[in-house]
Amino acid sequence: MTTRPTVTVIGADGAPSDSTHPLPEVFKVPIRPDIVQSVHTGIAKNKRQPYAVSEKAGHQTSAESWGTGRAVARIPRVSGGGTHRAGQAAFGNMCRSGRMFAPTKVWRKWHQKINLGQKRFATASALAASSSPALLLARGHSVTSVPEVPLVVSSTAFSGAAIAKTSAALALLKAVGAGADVDRVRASRKLRAGKGKLRGRRHRQRRGPLVVYNPVEDGRDLVKAFRNIPGVETSSVYSLNLLQLAPGGHLGRFIVWTSAAFKALDTIYGTTTEPSALKKNFLLPSALVTQPDIGKLINSSEIQTVLRPVRGAAITKRQNVQKKNPLVNKQVLLRLNPYAAAFSKEKLGQASVKQDEVKAPTKQSLTLLHEN
Amino acid sequence: MASNISYDLIWEITRQNSSYLVKRKQAGGVQFSRDPLNLTNKHSKKYEGYANDKAIGILPGENGGVTLLTKKTGSANKPSSALHTTKFGSNKSSRKTYRSIVSSTAKKGYRPDLRAEAVSRASAIRKSQKPVKQDKPAKLRGAKARKANEQ
Amino acid sequence: MALLMKHVPIVKKHTARFNRHQSDRFKCVDPSWRKPKGIDNRVRRRFKGQAAMPKIGYGSNKKTRHLMPSGHKAFLVKNTRDVDLLLMHNRTFAAEIASAVSARKRVEIIAKAKALGVKVTNSKAKVKTES
Repeated sequence: MTTRPTVTVIGADGAPSDSTHPLPEVFKVPIRPDIVQSVHTGIAKNKRQPYAVSEKAGHQTSAESWGTGRAVARIPRVSGGGTHRAGQAAFGNMCRSGRMFAPTKVWRKWHQKINLGQKRFATASALAASSSPALLLARGHSVTSVPEVPLVVSSTAFSGAAIAKTSAALALLKAVGAGADVDRVRASRKLRAGKGKLRGRRHRQRRGPLVVYNPVEDGRDLVKAFRNIPGVETSSVYSLNLLQLAPGGHLGRFIVWTSAAFKALDTIYGTTTEPSALKKNFLLPSALVTQPDIGKLINSSEIQTVLRPVRGAAITKRQNVQKKNPLVNKQVLLRLNPYAAAFSKEKLGQASVKQDEVKAPTKQSLTLLHEN
Repeated sequence: MASNISYDLIWEITRQNSSYLVKRKQAGGVQFSRDPLNLTNKHSKKYEGYANDKAIGILPGENGGVTLLTKKTGSANKPSSALHTTKFGSNKSSRKTYRSIVSSTAKKGYRPDLRAEAVSRASAIRKSQKPVKQDKPAKLRGAKARKANEQ
Repeated sequence: MALLMKHVPIVKKHTARFNRHQSDRFKCVDPSWRKPKGIDNRVRRRFKGQAAMPKIGYGSNKKTRHLMPSGHKAFLVKNTRDVDLLLMHNRTFAAEIASAVSARKRVEIIAKAKALGVKVTNSKAKVKTES
């Protein structure tokens, strides 16, 4: 077991202080985007308010089908006369001023029950993901000016209701390098497309940093100080919410911790072996895979020893290569015929055929030839 | 970096959806990336800067020239000091710029696989900083149009 | 403009649209393709002289798929930041300015694309003033 990594506590002026804090165990929880997403979709449904069309809509007429034999469709028709409405089709979802198909009911299943173990896993997983700058950047937070992630600000900055005014809160965020993220939110505010504008959701904007505090030590004055800064949210460390830790089910929310809140994490979540002090029957989930780095896995001696050696080592026979014509391609020719080099060097191909002069046949040979 | 987060995991988490990712339905669903530490702007594990321990970024400088960014290893959790910046002015010749980019990265064994990409990106940026050539005036088509222009 | 990446000739195996059977006969039958399912349907049974049905064999060569006649692939851009993405891809991709972009911003996008050597497919749209 290597030494536990530590996190520097940052002062109110943004300079790193001497004090450090070991990284709480909850940051070592396996990151499971699948669990976070499914829990998020469930939790996000739990704030819905029932809506439905009127029970009577489309049924406030005494329509009756005319039956067969009138050469019209058998849909119920409004009875009576003296008005255009009489004889018009009613009730059906295909009818003008009929009821809708499958009218919505207030007793729809609006809320989802999510298992407590899953909720806790998802929260712990989202917390762990918030300690990776890469995931913060990929979520869209501008954290390039932040000195360290997780960002822990000394609780002395909050003590004695020091942060009770928004100006003080904003100055603190700027000092610790979170100003860029607030500016990003401010610049992102846009008018919402669609009907949501009329329904109390006029603007859309990004999410900024989440300030997590410990109400016991930091007090609650900072909530009022931070609440008017666009995109900034506050949360007590004792009641962290997945909707804030992983908005949209996307991991990597930028969290500004107070040091008191950061310290409290170990007592709240416990470790993988010691149960949590505040959560009944809860142990931090431990990873099934201890080495998540695939490169290290593959290059480990355990795996390398059981792999068969590369076939053919440095020279491997290539398959499906284009056939090269040795008469055109010199390199291929040399491979087939090592003499070709000398042949061309001596210019034997161009040399004219040496012919020894044919000697005139001697008399003796001629007589031998014509003996018979 | 905590022991439970590897770059492979980060890549798997962000591969479908990330703030850098630009998806288009055209051309069979192209995926580009806005990551400044991505040399080719392609959304892939190899090129994404945030999904690698070491990464190179080349950006246009303020007054011409290029800026070379490299990730410092071992300071992954300190975003404000995680990048090493080198500026090459516009007066430095392009070839010397490429040479110093290569010698400070690939030749030192820092992402040698990105050598060609780094040079070609620096080259593309240098090219884009040159004054833009004016368009040639369109040739007039037909005798009538030419005559009308003369008058 | 940057030199275009060389590519094999673009061959479209079937350039005519596949229209739904009998969409030419009835106004209420939309021409968008629906596979005929009838037991006696002559198009389904591929009788001689009937309309051809779409099938995988009509697909384009993978190397020329999605290519415009110019040889580029299109990439929709909405601002200059999108054009920046094509810096390293100006030989394969061309920018296409989204329809809702105003004339003023189009000028900026086109200037940026020109500096980066990126072709803009609709560079004349909206920008050109009547002379």
